[in-house]
Amino acid sequence: MANPLRNEVLQLYRNLLYLGREYPKGADYFRERLKSAFMKNKDVTDPSQIKKLVDRGEFVIKELEALYFLRKYRAMKKRYYEYEQ
Amino acid sequence: MASHVLAKCVRQLARSSARFSSGNIAVRVAAAPVLSNSRAWSFTARSQRTRWNEQLLVSSPVGVLCRQYGHLPPLTLDTIRERVMYVLKLYDKINPEQLSTSSHFMKDLGLDSLDQVEIIMAMEDEFGFEIPDAEAEKLLSPQEIVQYIADKNDVYE
Repeated sequence: MANPLRNEVLQLYRNLLYLGREYPKGADYFRERLKSAFMKNKDVTDPSQIKKLVDRGEFVIKELEALYFLRKYRAMKKRYYEYEQ
Repeated sequence: MASHVLAKCVRQLARSSARFSSGNIAVRVAAAPVLSNSRAWSFTARSQRTRWNEQLLVSSPVGVLCRQYGHLPPLTLDTIRERVMYVLKLYDKINPEQLSTSSHFMKDLGLDSLDQVEIIMAMEDEFGFEIPDAEAEKLLSPQEIVQYIADKNDVYE
């Protein structure tokens, strides 16, 4: 219970959950997938393995941010440049 | 093509209505105090209440410009408890029949630590402030959440 990595994992879950709210396929879809992804690795106890998985989570966060950024950029572009082509 | 035309029409309409509202300051001045009559009056407005009613049409816009943000009903332990329980009832992994204020999320309701994180995030949304991780970990029953929120908002018996 008192694993120092526990907080890190929970923090990751929290951040992903927060980002998932604007997921294109819906927050509920994202939440289910996220939960199952975390539960799949619930028996991992090796610290280095956990570290690796957390790093993968961070990578997913970056990907999500990129996705949202791209979506925003596309929307802006559509609004401002649609008729000029 | 059709959407293009439609967008143009909408834009024109928006522009003309904007012109209309900026040209009619007098209308706004007259309308706003009437709207705010039922709400709590701001400090300046309260002191001038009687004069305001006489000068509705000619008063300066100063009183109108002070915005009155939506004020919520005051928090009490009962309302907090009610809102907490409401949020928990809507959470899909909790069986509303098993839920009581003293039930432990993990022991009584069979949730795990990830579900608990979700619950805390839902509480943050409901009450509009952030709960730090260190404290979120300790909130394991509805009663504890109610107590924590009451402490944070200076609500006492």
